[in-house]
Amino acid sequence: MSELLDTLMQDARVWQGHRHNKTTQLAELTGYQALDNQLGGLGWPRGALSECLLDTPGIGELTLLVPLMQRLSRAGKTVFWLNPPHTPYAPALAREDIDLNQVIMIHTEGKDDFLWTLENCLRSPVTGLVIAWPGRLAAREIRRLQLAAEAGSNVCVLFRERRYAEQNSPAALRLQLEPDNQQSLKVHVVKRRGSWPGQRCSLALAHRAGLLHHETPRIVQGPWPAIAR
Amino acid sequence: MLWLHLHFPHLLLDHIRRSGENMAALVIVNGSGQKVIQACPAARGLGVSAGMQLKTAISLVPELGIVRANPQQEARILEDQARWLYQHAAHIVLVPPDGLLAEIGSLQRLYGGLPAVWRTVEDALHERQLTAWPGIGHTPLAARLIARNGTGACTSDKAHILQALGKMPLLAAEFDERTCTRLQRLGLNTLGEVFSLPPAEMARRLSPETLAYIQKIQGSRPDPRAPWQPPHHFRQQADFVQEIEQSQGLLFPLHRMLSELEKDLCWRQQDTDCLLLLLRHRHAEPTRLRIRTSGPEHRAEAFLSLISLRLEQQPLQAPVVSLRLVVKRFLGREAPGGQDLLGENQDLNEAWHTLMSRLQARLGDNALRQLAPRADHRPERAWSASEVRRTNRTTTNNQLPRRPLWLLQGPQPLTETPKAWFTGPERISGGWWDGQRVHRDYYIAQLNSGQLAWVFRDVRDGWFIHGWFG
Repeated sequence: MSELLDTLMQDARVWQGHRHNKTTQLAELTGYQALDNQLGGLGWPRGALSECLLDTPGIGELTLLVPLMQRLSRAGKTVFWLNPPHTPYAPALAREDIDLNQVIMIHTEGKDDFLWTLENCLRSPVTGLVIAWPGRLAAREIRRLQLAAEAGSNVCVLFRERRYAEQNSPAALRLQLEPDNQQSLKVHVVKRRGSWPGQRCSLALAHRAGLLHHETPRIVQGPWPAIAR
Repeated sequence: MLWLHLHFPHLLLDHIRRSGENMAALVIVNGSGQKVIQACPAARGLGVSAGMQLKTAISLVPELGIVRANPQQEARILEDQARWLYQHAAHIVLVPPDGLLAEIGSLQRLYGGLPAVWRTVEDALHERQLTAWPGIGHTPLAARLIARNGTGACTSDKAHILQALGKMPLLAAEFDERTCTRLQRLGLNTLGEVFSLPPAEMARRLSPETLAYIQKIQGSRPDPRAPWQPPHHFRQQADFVQEIEQSQGLLFPLHRMLSELEKDLCWRQQDTDCLLLLLRHRHAEPTRLRIRTSGPEHRAEAFLSLISLRLEQQPLQAPVVSLRLVVKRFLGREAPGGQDLLGENQDLNEAWHTLMSRLQARLGDNALRQLAPRADHRPERAWSASEVRRTNRTTTNNQLPRRPLWLLQGPQPLTETPKAWFTGPERISGGWWDGQRVHRDYYIAQLNSGQLAWVFRDVRDGWFIHGWFG
């Protein structure tokens, strides 16, 4: 019995408040040094779900994933986009040096198809990254996805709305994303497996629109009366 | 030359019985539906026999399964048998309605003697649950007569064959009725007695055709047979006595057909990526299902899982009477690559095709898309979505302008005054060549919510959001 307990104590998945176990989980670096530092130098966990919680698109949420997509697609791994809310714009992805041959966009109808597709993608050895917009998910369904993610060691990022931050979730990493000033992205770690949550950092992502972050907003003024329609 | 004749006494019966799992008593009736011509062992056990009136048979066994003989169907089934026999023998002749002839004299060295050939064929018959009476003869007709009498023996001795033929009664020798009567009136009872007649006498007193027939049996007159050529497609059909209402019920016959397909493909050393399933219904138009795999495939279980996925998605419209599997498209098989000796490197290419096939089978062909930039100035036309294909196109990305990662399905009206304006304007004007005119000034702006948007003003001074810098 005590042997069993010892084994359990060694396991990084058993969370011990007083001690920071060095986790042995596989991970992929995010490509942002500031964020990697907050995530214990690891990055996106592999073989587990990650959640990004945000309210509106256009705050740099995809740019957060661009370094990972670049690296995986160049390594010949497939990147799946499952039910994206808008069109991933091919010229922009190509400009970011992402191999579009490895990018596959999937649209499903209905929750059953969505879960089935996501599970299949996660279990396949060809997958590198799955980005999905699931909408509403029951805790049981997230659990199911978590098991599928464990079966294959891929990175899976779910984009969900911020109101789900209160709901508990079996995901290994939960990040809350908010816009910060100077087009930066404020990342708040809501949950991190094997460690304390609560870290915050701000990533400068102004380069996504080709802006230098020290550039002061230039007011383009003009007589545009139609704007107030 | 040595010929092997396989006589299938109840081919149609065997064909139907092996498509079902557990069969009740079954009979085949003739075209007019009056008379039983073949009865399965279960039916025979209940007292039904071939030649019986159907009414009698039904009163004996009320729940009797009845199938009407159909010459076209029988011809097709016979050809199916030729197809597997072709794997063992090269020179095959179809002898409709129920016989197959194979030249085996040249196979003895390959298989290591006549008994080995005999055993190979018997094993193949057993594996396919077929009943056949084999017969060996030095001429095609001799082999046929011996096989049909069920007196086949594994021997290549000509004297033995002639002796077996000699003992055969005249009625079994398949003379036409008139000749048979005339021979009997001459006081002849066995084929051996006919053989001993002088040829000239026979031609004069009977007919030259009778002489030719006798000589062809004996082998003193040539009897050339054109060999059968296997078709360049695969086709298998399963017919059901009881209609199948649940798609689950189709999986059992499909399993057998697909393993036949796998063998066929292995034998051809080819793969396929497209199967056609034809489900016939009694009162409705046949259902056609096209099962596509995203890459070359030959394994039965891969096909079966795709088909069962498809059947789950698409329930049967009506009960199924027969099921046909057709494969017309064959692809050369590539040498399996990437698998090292210890099997440590997984074949990712194959895994990729398996995944795509599964997804396409369940979600439909249009659900999966691959993206590519396109040379056009108009943002909504500067990209394209195409079918998923494993290619290695190289795209040049150094000349592409700065664009947002999200493009909206259509421009959305801008409803607020942006907090800050950044670069712009970038004028995009084009489309005069195809009528889809676009004349816009694009800006990058930050909204009050912190979103970085790609907005434009069009000719009519309307402001729209066209993308997000996600």
